[in-house]
Amino acid sequence: MKKTKYIMSGGTAFAEQEDLQKLSDYAKKGWLLDRFAFLGYTLKKGEPQDLQYSLDFQENADDEYFLLFKDAGWQHVCSEGHAMHIFSAPPGTKPIYSDIETIIDRYKREKHFVGKAALSILAIMMFLLLFNAMSSYGWLPEAVGMISDILLIISTVLLVFPGLPYLAYQRKLKKLRNI
Amino acid sequence: MPRNDSLETGELTDTSYYILVSLIEAKHGYLIMKTIEDMTNQQFSIGPASMYTTIKKLLAAELIMLFSESKDKKKTYVATEKGIQFLKKEIQRRKEMIKHAEDALGGL
Repeated sequence: MKKTKYIMSGGTAFAEQEDLQKLSDYAKKGWLLDRFAFLGYTLKKGEPQDLQYSLDFQENADDEYFLLFKDAGWQHVCSEGHAMHIFSAPPGTKPIYSDIETIIDRYKREKHFVGKAALSILAIMMFLLLFNAMSSYGWLPEAVGMISDILLIISTVLLVFPGLPYLAYQRKLKKLRNI
Repeated sequence: MPRNDSLETGELTDTSYYILVSLIEAKHGYLIMKTIEDMTNQQFSIGPASMYTTIKKLLAAELIMLFSESKDKKKTYVATEKGIQFLKKEIQRRKEMIKHAEDALGGL
């Protein structure tokens, strides 16, 4: 019998609660979150458990950070890129965020993080456009223009990955600030 | 106005307020949470993510400071003089807010 299972993520910027609920449902059936995987999660077979999951974004997570969660009853399950952290706890454990101000802080950090990535891609695209124009004026070899074209298409596709989450966080923050 | 920038305007969020109150005497993170729960009869409790974020903010604003770091990596904090002044101003502000409401209600 297979010991691990892969499930897709809806994208934590778009479907955080849905993802976490799904993980909780799987835990009831004995499939426990093991680690982040490409665009999803890897689960491993274990004892069926009643668990709630929470996600936090913290780039500077240190020992003190994990200790606070542990003391509050939240077990660290896995992290991705030293920034995304998932914790689990038995039902009834108090939520990891207790006020709106710090929830806003969290989404601001995430927005800033994906915003930086989106900006770097945009900067590269500007250069590619420039090369492209220079090559069509004959200031650069034609091959440069062709390569820039291909790279432009690739970077447009890549821009979606930080770009859409950026917009999602922006919408989320707008909603939170109106409460 | 984004309400989470309230430290800059001289106001304390409820979370910052209670953390400062409990740090009149030095404590580590989890003990701060416990102290606040006991102080408020479990009416107010702070989650670990909110606690961590707010501690970092209070440190950056120099309202609290690192007091010591023990071998088990637990960091202890204590309110600074600036933090205590801030807290006193906040108490005054909140007292006035209550008075405004009580006056408006006229002893109802």
